[in-house]
Amino acid sequence: MDNVNPLHNILLYVDGSESSVLAARMAITMAKVYGSNLRVMYVVNESLLNELLKAKIFVKVEKMDYERDIEDDAKRYLNYVKKLAEGKGVQLDTVLRKGVVYEEVLREVKEYGADLVIQGELGEVQSLKDSFYEEGERILRKVSCPVMVVRGKEKIESIFEAL
Amino acid sequence: MKLTDHITPECIKTDLIAEDKDEVIEELVETLSNSVECCDADVILHAVMERENEGSTGLEKGVAIPHAKCEKVDRLRIVIGISREGIDFDSQDGKPSRIFFLMIAPPSEAGPHVQAIAKIVKMASIEGVIEKLIKAGNAEKVLEIIDNVENGG
Repeated sequence: MDNVNPLHNILLYVDGSESSVLAARMAITMAKVYGSNLRVMYVVNESLLNELLKAKIFVKVEKMDYERDIEDDAKRYLNYVKKLAEGKGVQLDTVLRKGVVYEEVLREVKEYGADLVIQGELGEVQSLKDSFYEEGERILRKVSCPVMVVRGKEKIESIFEAL
Repeated sequence: MKLTDHITPECIKTDLIAEDKDEVIEELVETLSNSVECCDADVILHAVMERENEGSTGLEKGVAIPHAKCEKVDRLRIVIGISREGIDFDSQDGKPSRIFFLMIAPPSEAGPHVQAIAKIVKMASIEGVIEKLIKAGNAEKVLEIIDNVENGG
């Protein structure tokens, strides 16, 4: 048992939010401490864009335009997390997908063989799950491996700084 | 992403004086430019009008979500305007629009922008919320109603 790393592959899910940055710091810390492989993924929420198109809130060209902007933003964000990891001597690989967020995360967990998913804090909505999307919560409920939801900004920042 | 993080009381107007579509967009943009220093009203107005010319953002049940991307705002900004009389906004159900959510964001905030639009659409679909907002009477009450909805109240 001593030779088995229970956290061989860590999957970090980010969405560009501030809580994602915190989750990234925690994931980088854990990857370094446990010698784990780290993969960071961002999912462009294509299903949401399609819903807005269907509801005629977006026109077609506009939907494509937003999708491209979000994709560009995602690339910048993934690159930022990569630089953050490299600064601590941790190597990671990045994955950018499009689709239904939790479905893409579930697929990645399977393909990557993730032992742990790390994500940022969940939204505050408690009782309107059907009305408000909370992708983080869907991941938490559906994913087949352990999930770490990161909160505690000061604590994590101090751990990360000391790393 | 919380809607209330992007709405200030100064960006809520519960007694719009506009009487037509162009006027209401102008009034919403003016409300924004009066409350946010770092924005260019003319550029924003042009962006919103241009988007509106592609297709109306007037939805059903008295709700309209005029929106555009624009470099001239620092971050996602939401302005709420309420017209008790209602304004013809070429809505999907042909009825006058009574509550307007103007949403402007720079291209670099496309993600939060889309999330915010989706949240407003979902909020509008909850029975009674739009009526409550229209009857709110003041900015603080509008914010309180949105905050309650976001927190599951």
